[in-house]
Amino acid sequence: MAQAGPNNQASNLSFERVRGVNNIIITYNVAHAVINLEADSSRFERILAALRSLANSDIPIFLLKLHSSALTLAMDGVDADRAQKALEASGFKIDLRADLAVVAVQADSMRDLSGVMVQIADALFAAGARLFETGDSHNSVQALIEGIKVESAVQSLLKTFALEASAVCSSQAAAQ
Amino acid sequence: MNILVQKFGGTSVDRAEHRDLAARKVIKAFEAGYAPVVVVSAIGRSGAPYATDTLVKVLRDIDAQTAPAPREMDLMMACGEIISTAVFAQTLQTYGFKAIALSGGQAGIVTDSEHGNARILEIRPQYIHMLLEQGFIPVVCGFQGVTQPENASEHGAITTLGRGGSDTTASALGAALGAVAVEIYTDVDGVKTADPDIVKTARTLDVCTYEEVAEIAHQGAKVVHPRAAEIAMDRNIPLWVKSTFSDHPGTRITSEATAGIKRRLTGITHTGKIVYIRLEIENAEHKPIVEREVYRMMARANVNIFLVTFSPSALSFAVPRTLFPIARDLLDGMVVPVEYGEKDPSGKLAAYYIFKFSDGLDLAYSVQRPLLRAVESRVEVVDVPASVTENCTMVSVIASHFLGVPGIALRIFETLVKAGIAIHQTADSGMSVSCLVPESEADRAVLLLHRTLFED
Repeated sequence: MAQAGPNNQASNLSFERVRGVNNIIITYNVAHAVINLEADSSRFERILAALRSLANSDIPIFLLKLHSSALTLAMDGVDADRAQKALEASGFKIDLRADLAVVAVQADSMRDLSGVMVQIADALFAAGARLFETGDSHNSVQALIEGIKVESAVQSLLKTFALEASAVCSSQAAAQ
Repeated sequence: MNILVQKFGGTSVDRAEHRDLAARKVIKAFEAGYAPVVVVSAIGRSGAPYATDTLVKVLRDIDAQTAPAPREMDLMMACGEIISTAVFAQTLQTYGFKAIALSGGQAGIVTDSEHGNARILEIRPQYIHMLLEQGFIPVVCGFQGVTQPENASEHGAITTLGRGGSDTTASALGAALGAVAVEIYTDVDGVKTADPDIVKTARTLDVCTYEEVAEIAHQGAKVVHPRAAEIAMDRNIPLWVKSTFSDHPGTRITSEATAGIKRRLTGITHTGKIVYIRLEIENAEHKPIVEREVYRMMARANVNIFLVTFSPSALSFAVPRTLFPIARDLLDGMVVPVEYGEKDPSGKLAAYYIFKFSDGLDLAYSVQRPLLRAVESRVEVVDVPASVTENCTMVSVIASHFLGVPGIALRIFETLVKAGIAIHQTADSGMSVSCLVPESEADRAVLLLHRTLFED
């Protein structure tokens, strides 16, 4: 904090955060589930049943997305087996893939920046990283990719956004 | 010297009786031993004679076909705060206090030269410090600064800070002056658990973290602009949101450690007039290529897309309603060629994907599609049906360290589904779960979610 007095020079503080992409956060050991919703029953009743099944098993979820005939979501990889058992016990057919990672590209006021999505998609495509799902919020775009592609994806993103390696941080747990 | 920055928004200074109430807040702080530095917004909101929008209209009305130059636009917009500052300083003077009005430049606020959306580079606080030492109450224009002169013959240009500019001014001044706190005065008692116009039982939060208030602001609550919260967070300056019109203590915004908040639901917000677009792309191999071209086209036209969702045969995303006509015009009839590398069994060399909206919105498609018949012997032409859900809005549940708790999504879905409110899509971040719902259901969704999550 500046403590400038009457005789001081300009405070020379950098007051505002840099606009644009400034960080990449990696979360390893993420699983992604595609929960098929039967067409002959109420779609939202089935969605509620799936969410109830996961909640009753104390499994935190994120990247929740609605599709016409499926519900997709992500979870910590350590919860994948329990989730599969719980959902199958409730009568759901699920396709579950573990060993994924979330690469989150962070920027202040992300939704005011146009073109970030294409830059991310191009960078991941160049790295050969298939996108399983994306999520976005006001300060990040999250890309769910294979864990083994993280290194090349991150290098490609660093180059795209002209970031230093120090802009990358990672965690092992997927819980939000 | 305990410097206290007090910022008053447009509704706090729009008429004499409101300015008197605001002035009393300043005088009370002065008499309590603080050295107040006041920041004011332009007088009134849209339609008021000296409001920023009114001033902008004066320039725009000169010739509707010629957009005003950004530099002149900034000069005009800055007038609103200059008028307000002079009026507020005069108000304090009538109470017998030594008040002095300062433009952003006179207050030492130096910005970059991005007119209309400038960023504060530095603040030279010496003059304000000197005025405070002499017993003055400086009244500073929010929302504006001045560029650093490029050479000795220049004097810098007036800039404006863009959205949330006055809050940003207050926070930055607080940081530069080493203020003990920054108080943001508005027309509500503090940060609420929901919009009190919708939820009469909405509570005022005693304390919030910087992260919570930034999230709330990003998701639609008009309390403190996120830029201001971020400056305060980075400099660890206590922020307060208070009402000009009451003696309620308001909401203290501080660091997580100071606030002592571990896990809680913070509030319900809603924001945005949104259109949701769904594109059916059946070929899984070609889908990523087609998707990237969609992103690229949107980026070229400065159309921000969000809520991007993949499924095996579709890509969905949202755009602000104001930008939907641009997005639709770009996509309608757009052709994305995907080369095979070698002929496929039917002898075709490539696939051309062409985007088609429903009847009436497919003008370009209906012109372009017949032209492709000439190449159909060598190229597979694939229609990409595009459907549109208009009139949507995002309703968000904001939480601190709560979203990892199992069952939160279930409670939100149960509440909305049981009330018959359609959920078109969801989005989540570390601090919020958002549902895209029909705009006509926004108030009911906020009300019901507040009842379920905050009152039951």
